[in-house]
Amino acid sequence: MKRWPNASLLLYPGMKMLTKLWTYLKDFISGMDYVHREKAAGITQWEEKELENIFILLLTGSFSGIPAPPAFVAAELLPLLSREIKIFNQRAENSFDTLAEMTGLLDID
Amino acid sequence: MTTIIVVLGIVVYFVLYKTYGKKLETEVVKADNSIETPAARMYDGVDYVPAKAPVLFGHHFASIAGAAPIIGPVLAMAWGWVPALLWVWFGNIFIGAVHDYLALMASVRYDGKSIQFVASDLITKRTGVLFYWLVFFLLILVIAAFGAVLGGMFVGTPEIPSAYIMKIIAALILGVLMYRVKMNFTLATVIGIILLALAIWLGSILPITASKNTWYVIMFFYIIIASAIPVNVLLQPRDYLNSWLLYFGLIIGAIAALFSFHGFTAPAFTSFAPIVSGGKATPYWPAIVLIIACGSLSGFHSLVGSGTTSKQLEKESDGLAIGYGAMLTEGFLSTLVVISVAGFGLNLMVDKGMDITTANWATTYTGAMMKSYPKAAMFTASYAQMVASTWLNFIPTKIVQIIAGMWVASFAMTTLDTTNRLGRYTFSEIMLPLKSNHEGAYNFLTNRWIASIIPALIGIYLAWSGNFTILWPSFGTANQLIASIALLTGSAWVAKRQKSTSKFALIPAYLLWITVTAAILWFSIVVLPGSIKANPVTGITVLVIEVIMLIMNFVFIIDFIKHKDEAVA
Repeated sequence: MKRWPNASLLLYPGMKMLTKLWTYLKDFISGMDYVHREKAAGITQWEEKELENIFILLLTGSFSGIPAPPAFVAAELLPLLSREIKIFNQRAENSFDTLAEMTGLLDID
Repeated sequence: MTTIIVVLGIVVYFVLYKTYGKKLETEVVKADNSIETPAARMYDGVDYVPAKAPVLFGHHFASIAGAAPIIGPVLAMAWGWVPALLWVWFGNIFIGAVHDYLALMASVRYDGKSIQFVASDLITKRTGVLFYWLVFFLLILVIAAFGAVLGGMFVGTPEIPSAYIMKIIAALILGVLMYRVKMNFTLATVIGIILLALAIWLGSILPITASKNTWYVIMFFYIIIASAIPVNVLLQPRDYLNSWLLYFGLIIGAIAALFSFHGFTAPAFTSFAPIVSGGKATPYWPAIVLIIACGSLSGFHSLVGSGTTSKQLEKESDGLAIGYGAMLTEGFLSTLVVISVAGFGLNLMVDKGMDITTANWATTYTGAMMKSYPKAAMFTASYAQMVASTWLNFIPTKIVQIIAGMWVASFAMTTLDTTNRLGRYTFSEIMLPLKSNHEGAYNFLTNRWIASIIPALIGIYLAWSGNFTILWPSFGTANQLIASIALLTGSAWVAKRQKSTSKFALIPAYLLWITVTAAILWFSIVVLPGSIKANPVTGITVLVIEVIMLIMNFVFIIDFIKHKDEAVA
């Protein structure tokens, strides 16, 4: 007697493919949502970054001759600001090269 | 035919990405995952942050996709759908995507510095300064060209401006919900999308009719105000709503093109020199490069790639999908535009009483298109027809047309006010030499409002008095000139730093430089004199910009040839 393959075996690869497709679709939609949020938040972050730049300049400005809080206040805050100072240095290095960054952020095309 | 071309497009892009793209990755760029990217090496949690490839692809694509890849192919249909499609595919795969990829990877190997910085380092300091001038001119011409697009669109389909105004109100409400009320993000998004749908529906029943010049005046004040107010009030929530509109439009468009099974009614080829720019016979070479900009190549992308994307690349092997792949995706968007106009454009124009046939297409297309469905309106109308020809026809055609119109208008409007923000910055940089000797003049000119008004005023004035078929190619010249400089910089990087085979970069770079130079010469000598006669102020303004850019172009190539074989430290 001829044996027919089990129907579930035939369905299995199809189901597997559908599940995979569904996972891809879910990932794509959640990825899309994430990008939207990130992109929108990026614009606000940019403005916040500008404020941070001013803030760090106020705090550490006395080191470069800008009238700022008394040196002892700045010196006391210094250990807490090591990460900020690293970022500040990096930004100072990039401060003459912001055209491309602004173009990327502002969606012109 | 529509379906065949979509499938063919997908196959062409996929095969060439896997072959040509991979060749670039291994032989030219020599991507190496053992080299740490700036995102990892210089990680600071703020600017330098590694992002997963799909996320970064989404960011990069959202930054490079705009209204330009939609409008260019509509104009290029004057040559017929084969030449339009050929330039989109050829330019995209062999020049535009190479340009984007090299700019991104050069920046990655330069600690995330911009292509402008790389050009200053590898060629001369002067090149970096040229970038500011070129970008400033480009921004003025962008305002002019996109202002003209919006003016035509608002007059042609009065439902779009009213839907757009409602969308601005929706964006303001969304801004309040997110930042003042601090509502849950998902809930705010759902409310935002409902408000967006409501804006489209209200727009369709309450159209606002006004003259083109009235819209130009409104646009002038809008871009000055929108570029001066804090980003979280309008720009950010509006862009968030825009991105939903973009994906919705893209998905619906791709489904419609795939299932419409519609024949092409536009001719495959009309003539080598149909009437396109300024009522003149426009030769395919070199002028095509000025007409289809962003769909095949765009100089702006080199700045985007080397600005934010390069600081977030997790590993070098991701660069191909992001730099090269995102540009191919944008080319696919232009392919959809060609397909929709080729399939449905002719009937639309005939229904509006235009005397156009496939036989007289070369001489009548541009005029008929500008009279019936000008610029982007041709895309939105054919797109709506394409959707109606599929099982998606349960969505009313008018609503689809407004959605497509909103999609293009949102991009163009975003471009206008963000352009003005950037214009303010580049203008201040250009004025810097004044600071030492004429501080008063410098302070006056770089004042926030004055620096905003200058590019907006020149741009809107050009849109007001100019002819669109003059303004669009002028925008193309500036954009492609930046692309040419960026691609030459990319090839200098390949030759000097990578010490690898630079022919994949150098041949397209020289080809682009020669094409752009010939196009500017042709445009200035053949087209602009007629424009100067018709409207002296606009014609002369554009001519002056073109001549300055041409001189810069020669200065640049001389610098490039002089320095290209110099050893670098």
